Amino acid sequence: MRAFKTVFTAGITMLVMLASCAAAQGAETISGLTFDHSMELEYAQQFSVDCYEGGYALIDIVESGRFLVVPEGAAIPEELDEDITILQQPLNNIYLVATSAMDLFRAIDGIGSIGLSGTDADGWYIEEAKEAMEKGDMAYAGKYSAPDYELILSKECSLAVESTMIYHSPEVMEKLEDFGIPVLVERSSYEPHPLGRTEWMKLYAVLLGKEAEAEQFFAAQKEQMSGVTDSANTGKTVAFFYINSNGIVNVRKAGDYVAKMIGLAGGNYIFSDLGGDDNALSTMNMQMEDFYAGAKDADYIIYNSTIDGELQSVDELIAKSPLLADFKAVKDGNVWCTQKNLFQETTGLAVMIADMHRLLSGDEVPDALTYMYRLN
Amino acid sequence: MKRTNVRYWTAFIILTVMLAVLLFWNINSGSVELSVAQIYQIIVKHTGEKTAYNIVWEIRLPRILAAVILGGALSVSGFLLQTFFGNPIAGPFVLGISSGAKLVVSLTMIFLLGKGIAVHSGTMIAGAFVGAMISMGFILLVSRKVKKMSMLVICGVMIGYICSAVTDFVVTFADDSNIVNLRNWSLGSFSGMSWENIGVMSAVIFTALLLVFFMSKPIGAYQMGEVYARNMGVNIRMFRLALILLSSILSASVTAFAGPISFVGIAVPHLVKSLLKTAKPILVIPACFLGGAVFCLFCDLIARTVFAPTELSISSVTAVFGAPVVIYMMVRKQSRSL
Amino acid sequence: MKDYFVYTEKMSVGYNGKPLIKDIEIELQKGQILTLIGPNGAGKSTILKSMIGQLSLLGGTVYIGRDELKKMSEKDLAKKMSVVMTERIHPELMTCGDVVSTGRYPYTGRLGILSEKDREKVREAMEMVNATELMERDFSAVSDGQRQRILLARAICQEPEIIVLDEPTSFLDIRYKLELLTILKKMVREKNVAVIMSLHELDLAQKISDVVVCVHGDKIERFGPPEEIFSAGYIRQLYGITDGSYNAQFGCIEMEGAKGEPEVFVIGGGGSGISVYRQLQRKGIPFAAGILHENDVDYPVAKALAVEVISEKPYEEIRPETYEKALNVMRKCKKVIGCTEKFGKMNEKNRHLLEESEHLL
Repeated sequence: MRAFKTVFTAGITMLVMLASCAAAQGAETISGLTFDHSMELEYAQQFSVDCYEGGYALIDIVESGRFLVVPEGAAIPEELDEDITILQQPLNNIYLVATSAMDLFRAIDGIGSIGLSGTDADGWYIEEAKEAMEKGDMAYAGKYSAPDYELILSKECSLAVESTMIYHSPEVMEKLEDFGIPVLVERSSYEPHPLGRTEWMKLYAVLLGKEAEAEQFFAAQKEQMSGVTDSANTGKTVAFFYINSNGIVNVRKAGDYVAKMIGLAGGNYIFSDLGGDDNALSTMNMQMEDFYAGAKDADYIIYNSTIDGELQSVDELIAKSPLLADFKAVKDGNVWCTQKNLFQETTGLAVMIADMHRLLSGDEVPDALTYMYRLN
Repeated sequence: MKRTNVRYWTAFIILTVMLAVLLFWNINSGSVELSVAQIYQIIVKHTGEKTAYNIVWEIRLPRILAAVILGGALSVSGFLLQTFFGNPIAGPFVLGISSGAKLVVSLTMIFLLGKGIAVHSGTMIAGAFVGAMISMGFILLVSRKVKKMSMLVICGVMIGYICSAVTDFVVTFADDSNIVNLRNWSLGSFSGMSWENIGVMSAVIFTALLLVFFMSKPIGAYQMGEVYARNMGVNIRMFRLALILLSSILSASVTAFAGPISFVGIAVPHLVKSLLKTAKPILVIPACFLGGAVFCLFCDLIARTVFAPTELSISSVTAVFGAPVVIYMMVRKQSRSL
Repeated sequence: MKDYFVYTEKMSVGYNGKPLIKDIEIELQKGQILTLIGPNGAGKSTILKSMIGQLSLLGGTVYIGRDELKKMSEKDLAKKMSVVMTERIHPELMTCGDVVSTGRYPYTGRLGILSEKDREKVREAMEMVNATELMERDFSAVSDGQRQRILLARAICQEPEIIVLDEPTSFLDIRYKLELLTILKKMVREKNVAVIMSLHELDLAQKISDVVVCVHGDKIERFGPPEEIFSAGYIRQLYGITDGSYNAQFGCIEMEGAKGEPEVFVIGGGGSGISVYRQLQRKGIPFAAGILHENDVDYPVAKALAVEVISEKPYEEIRPETYEKALNVMRKCKKVIGCTEKFGKMNEKNRHLLEESEHLL
């Protein structure tokens, strides 16, 4: 099974590389349009954008299909390949289900284009989103698997941005497409590099015609990171996990982007050889015993609060399993807890990496960093 | 004789009226306000503003029809199984049908999605149906060896457990996201029905219902017990086969299109029988269909409007309304026979 | 082909391939009642279940008319044979009328809707069992006796040529037992059906049957009219009676009489002694009875219960030897009970006995 997965992933990687090459060579010719240039993507591998004269852009997302962005009022080219979905600007009243994308829209000042959300107001940590929902500019459209079609139709939705979860409810996707609402399945969770996830803001920027804002924001992110990624590995080990109600420990796999983030921050993720290279958002469950054996000597512990809730003290952590008292990080007082907004604020990944770097390099750090705080 | 005829006519009229009322109520309810006049125009005259037209024709009507057809199928299936097993709490899923369906659906999802192959909704429907039929196949095999009907129920329950165990086993190795979705599917929902779905389910379910109706005579004979039924000329083996087959097809269809929906099959036959005050299949079968349709329409209305836009799972609503009914029935029956 | 209506040839029945009873050869005409008797577990129900098709025959053939049972379709069989079984049934929400109507099953159309003719038959059947007033009553709300009558009515309106009943009177009290069997007899006479049934009540079997079949061990031990079958000795052997005895003439059972030297001498006759004999037996007091003519009504009971019976040949005056014998026995007893006041020419000596007894005590 594992061998198969490795071969499969290798195959995909090859395809992606080929696709990128093809994109770089401008292999897409569309009748009536003149190819201009391919968007430069430094980390993102799951999509590519070919820009044409006149403001047209062809977005190609790995396994999600191709989308041709047509400027407002411009003509739609004839003789297009059947698999290309037309997205005519302006794209208003977007139905956004993929929570990680919200922050990216915020970064490019695009929240106004979103009319419907797959998460309730209470579920958002992003202030602008919360406000928009409370004001009524953004409406809650129900769970992704059973959306309120009537609401979506009545708001004249122009595009649905879904996560890969939608594949589990194929009838929803089919119904939306039947109504003429194109469905874009975002695959940022498959990006191997954390900044690759953030780079998806460039794709959304193309949809909204805000390429400049995206470039600017992304460049700033890179700035923040540069100081960090250049530095050497500190040799410190970090464990990132949470414990569920059955007493099972949920840890990240080695290929997971959080593990990558730790690597970029100059640390070593404690389970560096865990799991194959699947989906970059991959975790697995582990028995407390195995976790103890593997992680008890980790220098730092970062507890993932987004599922179970934020912890207030180390005692609460130990209450989940007394074995934890034995951990080096606990004894040294290097236990941190993430805040719930961590996974929603996709744009903050660079900051998160920078914070972790400060931590790992042994500098004096305050008890509260941007996305995590120390547990006492 | 006259008095009972009046009773029967009244019962059917009541059920039909309730159905009409709920149809009307349902078609007028939803997140978007549409006036009665608008809806009338859209349905009868086929004219209207595009969004409203879509809402009525593509969202509300298919969903309402699904609730009617599937609700009816469930309660007829429940009646058949209750008669057959002589067990008042037998339901459409007592033979392990829904567990089999869930197993195949989970295998399909995990296998195909794990390989990155997108799944079409038709595939899921077919998968669920196939899983249900496989469970049914096992039951049929077992029924050949087993003489007592009560044994079959036990076998059905065991098959249900085996399927659940295998499903859990497979799910353990799946990614988190897949697990969440199995839970969604297991709760059942009438959301997202299309006219295609309605077409297929009508064809299958109405055929099965017609066949069941024509079996009214042997079913009535069977109510006297197997010995007398055989003596009256019922071919018990064929009858058993037909009954298992038809009730499985009915419940499999529901599971395939909407996931497992609890309590409709158990509660509605009791309600219908106490309304009609008879268990004659020739009356109870159509009445169960109407009753099941009414019940499901009502529950679906509550599921989708009370906390809009969040949808409650249909099984929780049917359980909330169905379970007290079953309890009340049992208590009343007990006290009467004492 | 024999000219019997129902007959079996080398029939073998049992469960799971194991034959319980082999080589069954039963013959019955229309208009006759055949009763199966035999000890518990002998296989009477097995035979009946095999005849109605509920159990497969392990061997041999059953013929009904000219047709073999095996080869008949369910529908044809349903028109020829109907049943009344022992097990209680629990139909839901059915009236008595509904239950009886199910008997018309082989005659109604696809959906089982009753025609006017069918309804007429149902009414007739219910009249025959005197249950017309129960038509609209709930079947589960009537008494056991009424229920059996309804089931019989059901069997009747199926218009069969044979009715098979498995211990139909088991749950009934004496009134309903008699009622049911009377109706059965009437059915047989009026409609000329053949009846095959099993009964535990030997006295009833003896009185109502035209043919009796005794099931014992792994075969049919005896087969014939009741006069041939019901002798005290045979019944005792068939059922393995060890406590008590069976009175063949009256078809009644007697319990074991007290043993030992007689303490009481009972002078009875003409039926007057019977209740005294029974009282003494109940109290466990051994007694002697006399002088009884062998054709006296008291005689068989005395024979069963008394330690000693002094008897005289029927229609004869009591001879002096007999009188002496009785006197001797009486003298040994502690008490004498005279039951009868009537003395005639034949039993004049009993009056002397009574007078003698007054002297003794």
